[in-house]
Amino acid sequence: MTENPTPSPPDTRWGLKSKIILSMLLVGLIPLVVGLGMAFWQGSQEIWEISGESFETLATEAARKLDLLLAEEIAHAAHIANDPTVIHELERRRDARRDPKNHTMVPPDLERRWMSRDPDAIKSVTGNRLSALLHEHFTGAHSAPGEMLPHVIRSSTKMLFLTDAQGTLVASMTEHPAFRHDETRWWQGAFNKAAGKLYIEDIRFDNQVKAYVFTISLPVMDSLRYEVVGVLHRVIDAEEFFSPATHVIRFGKTGHVMLIDANGTVISCPLLPTGVPLSDPSLVPLVTPQHPGWVQASSDGHGGQDTSVIGFAPLPKTSRATNGSDTDGSWHTFVWQSSDELFAPIQHLFTWVTVFGAVALVLLASLGYIAAGRIVTPVRQLQQAAQAIGRGELRAPIQINSGDELEDLADEFNRMNSQLKAAFAGLTDQVKLKTQEVQVLQKSTDQILDAVPNPILLIDAQEIVRYINQAARKSFKIQEPMPGTSLFTILPLDPTVQKRLRAEFRVNGATPVITSDIEREKVPRDPLVPSTDHESAGRRAELHIGPRIYQYQWFRLPARPGEEDSIGLVLRDTTDESRLQDQLVQAEKTGSLGVLTAGIGHELNNPLFGVIGLGEVIQDEQDLEHIKSCARDIVAHGRRMATIIRDFAGIATKDASAKPVPLLLEREFDQALVTAQMTVEMKDIMIHKVYAGNTPVLAFPDELRQALVNLMINAAQAMKGAGTLTLTTALSDHTVTATIADSGPGISKQHLSKIFDPFFTTKGQGEGSGLGLTVARRIIRKFGGELRIESVEGRGTTCSVMLSTNSPKAPEGALWTTAAAHSEPEPSHSS
Amino acid sequence: MDNRRGTFRTGTIAFFLVGPWIGIFFLLGLWIGIPFPSAKESPGLVGIAPKKVADYIHAVIEADRSIYTTEIVNRMQENGIVTAAEHWEQDNALPLPAQFLQRSGRLVAESGPGIRYRLIGLSPMYQRNGPATEFERKALTELQRQPDRPVTGVVSSGKKQYFQAIYADRAVSSACITCHNSHPLSPKRDFKLSDVMGGIAITIPLE
Repeated sequence: MTENPTPSPPDTRWGLKSKIILSMLLVGLIPLVVGLGMAFWQGSQEIWEISGESFETLATEAARKLDLLLAEEIAHAAHIANDPTVIHELERRRDARRDPKNHTMVPPDLERRWMSRDPDAIKSVTGNRLSALLHEHFTGAHSAPGEMLPHVIRSSTKMLFLTDAQGTLVASMTEHPAFRHDETRWWQGAFNKAAGKLYIEDIRFDNQVKAYVFTISLPVMDSLRYEVVGVLHRVIDAEEFFSPATHVIRFGKTGHVMLIDANGTVISCPLLPTGVPLSDPSLVPLVTPQHPGWVQASSDGHGGQDTSVIGFAPLPKTSRATNGSDTDGSWHTFVWQSSDELFAPIQHLFTWVTVFGAVALVLLASLGYIAAGRIVTPVRQLQQAAQAIGRGELRAPIQINSGDELEDLADEFNRMNSQLKAAFAGLTDQVKLKTQEVQVLQKSTDQILDAVPNPILLIDAQEIVRYINQAARKSFKIQEPMPGTSLFTILPLDPTVQKRLRAEFRVNGATPVITSDIEREKVPRDPLVPSTDHESAGRRAELHIGPRIYQYQWFRLPARPGEEDSIGLVLRDTTDESRLQDQLVQAEKTGSLGVLTAGIGHELNNPLFGVIGLGEVIQDEQDLEHIKSCARDIVAHGRRMATIIRDFAGIATKDASAKPVPLLLEREFDQALVTAQMTVEMKDIMIHKVYAGNTPVLAFPDELRQALVNLMINAAQAMKGAGTLTLTTALSDHTVTATIADSGPGISKQHLSKIFDPFFTTKGQGEGSGLGLTVARRIIRKFGGELRIESVEGRGTTCSVMLSTNSPKAPEGALWTTAAAHSEPEPSHSS
Repeated sequence: MDNRRGTFRTGTIAFFLVGPWIGIFFLLGLWIGIPFPSAKESPGLVGIAPKKVADYIHAVIEADRSIYTTEIVNRMQENGIVTAAEHWEQDNALPLPAQFLQRSGRLVAESGPGIRYRLIGLSPMYQRNGPATEFERKALTELQRQPDRPVTGVVSSGKKQYFQAIYADRAVSSACITCHNSHPLSPKRDFKLSDVMGGIAITIPLE
């Protein structure tokens, strides 16, 4: 593989190789981290649980043990308190106090002397019989052989003394106690209104013994257990008393049991000194409920702020007697081990798993690198091959032998490359061929254009002439090279025409083809009004350049992609043509006038001769009746002549002032028939009427009648006085159709197209003016109707007059348009 | 304990030795009319005989405990609401009927009118509930034999004299015998229902 300097993508883009390595790393790393986290969390939870439960059990057991220890101590004290000698002595003291005669029991100044540490007084108390008895009990003289007081108990007991029912000191083993105790809480608690109760006092610092102590006070009941006769009080050094029991319970380096009271004051702890409160006061309520349990606390009570597991349990029996009641303070064991130690195994595990994870990551990265290399190398090869194909430079086939999809892909590339090569080769040939064709086409186009006799110019949007054909060059005398020449330098025109041309040019830029006809057709127009714009149309399409007149036409040329369309201008030299046309029109006019004159002359001749003949008759006639008859004939002839003249005038002039009135078509039909019968011989003609009823139409009565008369006369003349004339009216939606059908010979096809032309007639000279149908059609169209003539040669002719019911105006648009198209040529000929 | 029992034994022997003499003196005293406080006939001193007072008190105590046992403890336990247990303070439970009686006795003692009552037995779980005096011991023995009648008598502590009546206390509910037959500290484990388990000792000062 040749290491081409591949176009290095921007720095931020990740290559395929990095992506593969990264994804392999992530695939390995995410489960590792998740698994590790879950294992750590689960492990921690289990350690919490297991430790908590173990600590709770341990605390409960320790509490039971301490409870038993205290119960044993209380039993020892009870042994003394139940001693009959003690009871008897105290009963005696009670009775003596009640006996007013006997005051010998307690010397009155004994208290003062005791306070002042008088040796006699001290001796009288500490040396009396009861004190000796206390000593004996304490040293075990009254104990059973196997129940000797342990040394610890003896040494931890700092004071042991008896008071009577008044709280006065009766006997003591030491000289420390005060003389009166009836005001102390412990004494009142144990005395309990003479009912008596065990009273264990919370830990406090005793100034006499210089140590933290707790006390046990037991009431001494009388022999009937009826009332309290004295109180036995024992002061015990807490540290000394409990340490043998608590300090031995150790586990691990930091795990231990301690004893606290309800206020969180340490009674005994291997680590903390007795008497100090727990470092975190908020811990106290958590660990001093009345039932065993364990808690996950935010501090350890020993000054540390780590989250700790603490097991705890109350001392059930002892707590019942502490401070005289089971609600006022209780004692609890407290089991704790340092979190560091507790979690050491899982920390250890965590460290190891992390190390293994790191090793796994390194392995993953290396494997990823190798795998990515194996994938990426062929891909790069393919990429370079694709680039080479893109440049058309790939010659040798790609060689990849990885035996997988990449190899297939490489094969596909090779196949594609060979196909592309083949395709390109064919394409080049075709392009050559097409180019030649285009050149030939262009050449031929040029030649065709040059061959055209009309000047043709191609102009771009900036009015620059791009092409001029041979004819134009000749016409406008232009030399061959003419780059960047403006249209108006070639065509010398006056400024108004230039302006008009520019406007047209701009319009042509927007619309593909413009012809003057289309613009004219936009507005419907009364076809009977003589067209006035043929002049302007001529002006529009014509240019006067020098002595020549040109007709011109714009056309649009599709542009090449990316270029603006160009516009072509075709000019046609009509100088000679228009001159010829003028001459032609003149000749036609002259000819028509001749025919017209002959027609009019002929038409007028007959009545005129009649008038002359009648006039001559009148001159010689004597009979008045005959004269009058002749005069009537003269009038009739005059009227006929007037009618003929009116007919002629009707072609050119119109009476447009009157308004159409509603008529009944059938009536008009009948009247027209009467008039026609008067005009032509119709004796042998059978009239057949098929009327739809009273059909209303809107028209000028005279004109409509004239049109109908013209049609009937035509029909009668066609039948040469014999045949059948069928008159039909029919009414459909909005159209009224009047039909006049004859049974004459019909109109030949060659005449059928000309019958509406003015002056066209098949009749002989003097029989018809050739204007009858023309006039009839004009009239009918004026009412918005239409006249149609259908004829089959040898079978007759049918004239259909279609009118709209009661409507003087036809719907605007189509009808007028077609009418205009038909009538268009007429004015130019007639004018 | 053996030591103490020994003491009592010697005391009993002494009693038997001096007993007849005391009896003679007692009779002589009655004869010569020395006013001596007596439990039976002293209508001039108190309105009601101490025996009657003790009977009344005993009736009240019995009724209270019956109601507590049947209507509270048994019912609550049957309905599974709360049970009775010895360490009821810690266990959030009801006091046992025997504890109920003992505690009410202590309340009476602490309230101070002078009357005392407590449960005693010859085989108590805790030694403090054993008979305190020879009189009590004898009375309990007597009640085993004849439980229907209380044992009464005048006893003294020093110079103070008291009237004491001891009534037989039977196993009123199965809870009593189950507990006493299974408790680790119980010295006797073959109690049956309605057995005399001990007595209620009512002490009234005679002053």
